[in-house]
Amino acid sequence: MPWKERYTISDEKSIVDRDIKWPGGKRCCFRVVVDLSPACGPEGIKPDDLTTPDAYYGMNGGLDALVGVLDRHGIKATFAVPAVIAEIQADKLRRLAGAGHEIAAHGFKHEDVSLLSKDDEHARLERTTAILERVVGRRPAGWFSLARPGDKFAGGAVSPHTIDLLLDGGYDYFGNGLADDAPHWWVSDFASRRAILALPYYYHFDDQFFLLFPRKGTGLENPDSLYRNWKAELDAQYRRGRHFSMVLHPHAIAWPNRLHMLEQFLDHAKSLPELWYATSIDCARHWSTTFPAATHLKLEPSIWQDHPGSLS
Amino acid sequence: MDTTTGSTDGLDRDIAALKARAADYGAQHKVIDRITWPNGARIAVNFTADFDTMLLRRLLNEPPQQLAKGEFGGRVGIWRLIELFDSHKIKATIFTPGRICELYPESLRAAARSGHEIADHMWEHRVPKEPALERDHLTKTIAAIEKTVGKRPVGTRSAHSRELLLEHGFIYTSEDSMDHRPNWLSAPDGSKPILNLPFHYAIDDAMFFSFAWLGSDNSAQRMMDPDHVEELWWRMFEQCYRDGGYMNVCMHPFVSGRALRIAMLDRLINRMKALPGVWFPNCEEAARHIIGAH
Repeated sequence: MPWKERYTISDEKSIVDRDIKWPGGKRCCFRVVVDLSPACGPEGIKPDDLTTPDAYYGMNGGLDALVGVLDRHGIKATFAVPAVIAEIQADKLRRLAGAGHEIAAHGFKHEDVSLLSKDDEHARLERTTAILERVVGRRPAGWFSLARPGDKFAGGAVSPHTIDLLLDGGYDYFGNGLADDAPHWWVSDFASRRAILALPYYYHFDDQFFLLFPRKGTGLENPDSLYRNWKAELDAQYRRGRHFSMVLHPHAIAWPNRLHMLEQFLDHAKSLPELWYATSIDCARHWSTTFPAATHLKLEPSIWQDHPGSLS
Repeated sequence: MDTTTGSTDGLDRDIAALKARAADYGAQHKVIDRITWPNGARIAVNFTADFDTMLLRRLLNEPPQQLAKGEFGGRVGIWRLIELFDSHKIKATIFTPGRICELYPESLRAAARSGHEIADHMWEHRVPKEPALERDHLTKTIAAIEKTVGKRPVGTRSAHSRELLLEHGFIYTSEDSMDHRPNWLSAPDGSKPILNLPFHYAIDDAMFFSFAWLGSDNSAQRMMDPDHVEELWWRMFEQCYRDGGYMNVCMHPFVSGRALRIAMLDRLINRMKALPGVWFPNCEEAARHIIGAH
């Protein structure tokens, strides 16, 4: 097996806590990601997905309320936006970008790219980049592939080609990396050490899995548990000097009782004096400069052997 | 079993078949009552980590992000667990698939250097049905572990057959939960016993924190927080401590290695250590004591 292909995406051991440095001597990076996709299926956003109460609230009252909270706390977030939503909500996106929030790509229409041919995935990626650049006036630097509520797994889908296509398309980072809780390099080719920076994502810090997940009627409403997960992770990562990120869905988190919980959490974060509040691109640029793949990606030669009767 | 007729003979045959099966199964298990531990300890607590990382996800052909989720265990989680147990001077047991020796050899060597036990968790997280291939997988795992850490495994968490395990020098398994107390598994006539150090799925981090665990569907997810699980596990510990006994905490480095859960385990261990008579051996130490004393 060449390297550890189809098993691992990065090197054998993560960066240790004491080696991590953040700008200005800060202790821990704090990132907020807002998913602007309405709930949809693996084919991506369809007309009917835009006509649900949640989809309406998420783009109107919910979005306004969430942005109000972020503003009050002085937080610049990263908005992960499907290209078709950028077409529909161009004015809103320009306002968010104008206020200093980052606009990142979230697929052409938040479809499952593992169901597409490479050519189709490539064409959609190019079109997405062009649409976001035209709407926002700046090329997106980051790409997200976050989970849809009906996905069997909670990590978001990629295809075998996604990382190569993102590198070809000039992207600086991939937004939902699960192999670490600090930024890390996702290798697309071992021989050439071609790699993209992956920013950490984990589903226990994603609101959608705690708030009437996967749909109304399931009875699963646990904002208190979500709060405790956020707080426990932030406190632990702050002590270690690593990184914290959360993913928010306006239709879910902005409902008043839940939004109050978010405010309580942001108030708690404020009590930690050395947090570095960063957009995803700020975090990615710092990491790529301070811990570049050329010096910090440590790929040991594979010792994997193929055996009859075993996985290859 | 005859289930097609309500005749008296048919019903009698049903009863006889069920009685025979129950008696046969019962005769293969013997619980060790009134267990005693060295130095008058009231309870032995085994911390055990199943070092699957992405191997089971790969075996089940799950998508790339699932593999990356597992990879966290090898790149990050295992190192944090080693650090946590070393800081408490606790010897843990790491049940590793043999193939992990080719993916994360450094972490296994580091764990062994710290005195943690490296035990078998199948070659690639499955026990083949074909006897020759099962034997091949077990011997490959033994060889891989011995080559990596310099010592043959004597324990397993697997459904490998008892006879095969005994033939290869294994002294215990940690697989089943037919009782919360350690127990013997044997042939129905009591011959060829092997010790079982039981773990329970309710004292298993993945049940509470790993999305889609064991194929559970989305509406069945019960995503919990560390405080909740800490209290569940603490209550289990309190009961076992009061009665005198045994507790096995089953962790997965890709789950428990997350920073928020390392902090929870640290609190849990501190609460346990605050009581007198709590012994934290690895599984091999516990097994050797039981085999010698009972």
